Amino acid sequence: MTQLDTPSVVSAPDQADHRSTLTQRRQDRFARVEPKGKRVFTARERAEMLVDDGSFVEMTPLRTAGGGAGSGVVAGWGTTDGHAVVVVSHDAAVASGAIGAVMADAIMKAQRFAIDKGYPIVYINDSGGARIHDGIFALHGCGGIFANNIEAQQRIPQISLIIGPCAGAAAYSPALTDWTIMVKEQGQMFLTGPEIVKAATGEDATAEEIGGSALHTKVSGVAHLEVDSEEEAFHATRLLLSFLPTHKGGPQKRHSSVPANPGAAERLPTLVPDKSSVVFDMNALLDGVLDNGARLELMPAHAPSILTLFGRLDGHAVGILANQPNARGGILDAKASVKAARFVEFCGRFDLPVLTFVDVPGFLPGTVEEGRGVITHGAKLLKAYVETKSPKLTVVVRKAYGGAYIAMGSASLGADVNWAWSGSEIAVMGPGGAVALLHRRALKAAEEPAKLRDELAAVYREEVARPYIAAEAGIVDDVILPEETRDRMAAALRMLTHESSL
Amino acid sequence: MFAARAEIVANVWKIVAREGDQVGVGDVLAVLESMKMEIPVYAEASGFVSKVLVEVGQIVQEGDPLIEIDESHA
Repeated sequence: MTQLDTPSVVSAPDQADHRSTLTQRRQDRFARVEPKGKRVFTARERAEMLVDDGSFVEMTPLRTAGGGAGSGVVAGWGTTDGHAVVVVSHDAAVASGAIGAVMADAIMKAQRFAIDKGYPIVYINDSGGARIHDGIFALHGCGGIFANNIEAQQRIPQISLIIGPCAGAAAYSPALTDWTIMVKEQGQMFLTGPEIVKAATGEDATAEEIGGSALHTKVSGVAHLEVDSEEEAFHATRLLLSFLPTHKGGPQKRHSSVPANPGAAERLPTLVPDKSSVVFDMNALLDGVLDNGARLELMPAHAPSILTLFGRLDGHAVGILANQPNARGGILDAKASVKAARFVEFCGRFDLPVLTFVDVPGFLPGTVEEGRGVITHGAKLLKAYVETKSPKLTVVVRKAYGGAYIAMGSASLGADVNWAWSGSEIAVMGPGGAVALLHRRALKAAEEPAKLRDELAAVYREEVARPYIAAEAGIVDDVILPEETRDRMAAALRMLTHESSL
Repeated sequence: MFAARAEIVANVWKIVAREGDQVGVGDVLAVLESMKMEIPVYAEASGFVSKVLVEVGQIVQEGDPLIEIDESHA
């Protein structure tokens, strides 16, 4: 039975009227309005598709903003994999989903429910922004939604799906949530669309150019995942929720342990090239350590020199940060710092352990990065690690130099356990740069400076940069072999999550 | 026409592709040197190398075109 059906029982004559009135009211409100444009599904169908089959319950289904139409939003709750979730789905069939006073109030009611009861909330956004006819009442309502978004940050996970053109308030609210998923060619986010842009500044640009998924998932970083269809957006949302507790302080979703991919685990000891300048794919390393199961990488196309993903280790849901040598050499820059800091901060807020895999040549210096504010943005990463109180495990798999060594979850920033692989290098700068400074005079006087530099660099690498100085000083807890990484991390997680005392 | 671009500010260390070469997606066209890392530049399209725009030792900025590939002759 759905909310549309009224139970058919033989009514007493005096009951017939109010029963048929309710049936009529429900039919009017639940009648399917054929979606416009590229849309395939209605707001209600989207909410139902997101959650477990038959689990969606609409809140205030008879609410109206007048004129016989609905409030402009389908809000309710259901479950994903059996866990409760609150859903807000903009109804583009009512005034193009524009947010009026009543719609805003219905959204705020759902937000209040999620915050107070401690359930994640998913916003399915398809709205042109504030409803102009409602004037100041629309603006006041949109502001109220933002205030709730901000309050919710400290309490529950918030996920935004961008499934239609979202302007103004419908773009700002997602920016106040944790993760934003955009449907390619169907969803856009912008302050305002092409017509008003043209009128305001004269710029001629399409909706895709101003706020398409390519712009926001690659360049701006406003959105975190691009998918091809609404169904994929719902799937990605369910996958994301599978790694998260329902609310801050809530129990973590523990699965049974799955061994790492056997082939990848076998290749792990020889995967990382000895020569620190040669690139490799960090994903192959993660395959050899993490549970061989579902993962979700966020922001894969934005600042790809650092990977941020959710996965599992020994059944624990974990957040993983890893430098990616295969993209821009694995450097940290302004964008990579912001991406990483945001991810660490999120994990900390919801008690997810942070696993950091380090192979970083440094922060990228120079005029372009300084102009982008790399100092301020890099500092955000330091702050995020220090403020995160969830378990933090860090392993240097090849090289960690200078400020980037500190920034990548080092002992000084509060990592609970730090390891370094036996072939790794930890130093203030790479051997080449270090000997150029330390032996400037000798190199200047040398007959073959390049040869001398290589020799000195080799000595520096073995005598200064190898991780034993750090281990002897207790700054690195232990020097380990690649194939020991998974077990060491699993044991540390059992200890840090108090599981070993259960 | 497809142009392989520098993904980072760098020094052009090696140029592998020569004008007229047939290349396929994923082939290494050049290797940049930045932050002491050897950063390969891959072909993202198949075709023939119509123009090499840089020289070994040249400093390139992020986004600079390096090598042009004519896809019409793929």
